[in-house]
Amino acid sequence: MSTLTPTAQPTTGSFRGIGDVKLVGRQVWYEQLSFWLNPVGAVFTVGFSLVFLLLLGATAGNSRTAIYGNIKLTQYYVPGFVAYGIMAACFNILAITTVNRREVGLLKRIRLSPLPTWVLLTAIIMSSMIISVVEVVVLLAVGRFGFGVHGPASVGAFVLAIVVGMISFSAMGLGMSTLVPNQDAAGPIVSIVFFVLLFLSGLWYPINPHSGLAKVSAYMPVRHMITAVFAPFNLQKGASPWEWHDLLVIALWGLAGAIVAVRRWEWAPRRLSS
Amino acid sequence: MPAVAVRNLAKSYGDKQAVRDVSFEVEKGEVFALLGPNGAGKTTTIEILEGFRERSGGEVETLGVDPANRASQRWLRCHIGVVLQELAVEPYYTVRQVLSRNAGYYPAPRPIDEVIALVGLTEKADKRIKTLSGGQQRRLDVGLGVIGNPELLFLDEPTTGLDPSGRRDTWNLIRQLAADGTTVMLTTHYMDEVEALADRVAVLSGAQIVAAGTPVSIGGRDSGAVTIRFALPDGVSVTDLPVSGCTLDEGQIEIHTEDELRVLHDLTGWAIERDLTLPGLAVVRVTLEDVYLQLTREDRDTEATRS
Repeated sequence: MSTLTPTAQPTTGSFRGIGDVKLVGRQVWYEQLSFWLNPVGAVFTVGFSLVFLLLLGATAGNSRTAIYGNIKLTQYYVPGFVAYGIMAACFNILAITTVNRREVGLLKRIRLSPLPTWVLLTAIIMSSMIISVVEVVVLLAVGRFGFGVHGPASVGAFVLAIVVGMISFSAMGLGMSTLVPNQDAAGPIVSIVFFVLLFLSGLWYPINPHSGLAKVSAYMPVRHMITAVFAPFNLQKGASPWEWHDLLVIALWGLAGAIVAVRRWEWAPRRLSS
Repeated sequence: MPAVAVRNLAKSYGDKQAVRDVSFEVEKGEVFALLGPNGAGKTTTIEILEGFRERSGGEVETLGVDPANRASQRWLRCHIGVVLQELAVEPYYTVRQVLSRNAGYYPAPRPIDEVIALVGLTEKADKRIKTLSGGQQRRLDVGLGVIGNPELLFLDEPTTGLDPSGRRDTWNLIRQLAADGTTVMLTTHYMDEVEALADRVAVLSGAQIVAAGTPVSIGGRDSGAVTIRFALPDGVSVTDLPVSGCTLDEGQIEIHTEDELRVLHDLTGWAIERDLTLPGLAVVRVTLEDVYLQLTREDRDTEATRS
């Protein structure tokens, strides 16, 4: 046995300046490629929220809702499905694909390549954000031209709401992925959690803010996301488009998701660990 | 400096000792095999060397650095290649796309087309990965392992689950990489794989190394008793033979001896004098499989008691 003395000259640290920033851009490109090359995934993610909006919009016709100052129901659905689209892309899809990547061994292999973890995670979250933005644009366009729904009155508040939502729900999605034991369970578990929360949060029908249901879902992030996106459309007289309370709750949930993700993160397939 | 140096390596998961007191070295440019049954600690050992898992004790160096040292981990990952036991492919990319993506992770990658040719996927270069056969996907997996032009390549059971032609292709690929100067460390539970590829082998059984050496010498294969075997020629009885210690079983003569040269000399000289042939004459050495089964017997026995 020769003496065990280090002779190589390793570069220290995991950040190497501008080269790494380019690496993030490259990785985002390949994440996007992988997403859009899978037609089923792409259609389901973007198409689902669109189909929901079209169906509910068509059913609603010209009916109005009394809860938010007698507005057209479609004027409620468009921001609602913008919120849904963001949550679906950042939470639902991200959680399921992350479980798949882990269980197939893709996360492990990437861990053993020189790609730094922060570059990977930044790229994954940015990629989910790009998908969300595509959805938002499609939904706003359909709302505008299909149902005559006007866009957000306060663009600043709208952008802030969707950015906070995208980052926080991505963190929750990554956290959620660590709670799912295997690939087969990923779709069912994540979707059940997601759709129950959606149901409780009045996506398909406006719920009275003073109802018992609203009080329960006040502790959950989904309802806050819907109201935070809804507010910038500034439909109620005298109401502020900046829903700081909602954004705070969403951000706290995002923080909780990030903490769970960091504490429970595993690179290797969980089905193989003894 | 060896490519890999391991001294008194230990790893436990809770009460379970996955690896204990393992020591070996892998020289630069050699093909080194870790042979052992499932659960013997092969993957754990290799994952510690890659820096994927932390060890519980002992000293380890991979390419001169401690793989557990976070400061040098990125440097190390630029200089090693890894092919995992499980096939991990992304179905929607083309072969060229996924290789290009991973090439971008390394400071000095191999040219994409060179790797595509090396793994024999030139005709499939622009096809989606999901359209490849299992063997082709495995070769792509190896291609991803070498895209960074690694000095040291880890292959965890590279041919498990492949059909015979897929295995042969993968072997040829590994030989070619070794010929180019890549140090290869592989795990396997196939004896023929060790004989076909490895310069040296260590046998892991029950979390420990039970033997190490070259495939031809391990477990005393190159010395010790051999079996000489042939069919008894017509008109000859066992007592006519010029050597003692023969056994006859259904017309087959077997002679166990440690002095094979002299026995063969006596036997063949005697046959030539009488113008006889010795049909099917063969000298049978202990196979690597015999050695392996003997070395890992204890491990299998405990396994049997447990289940």
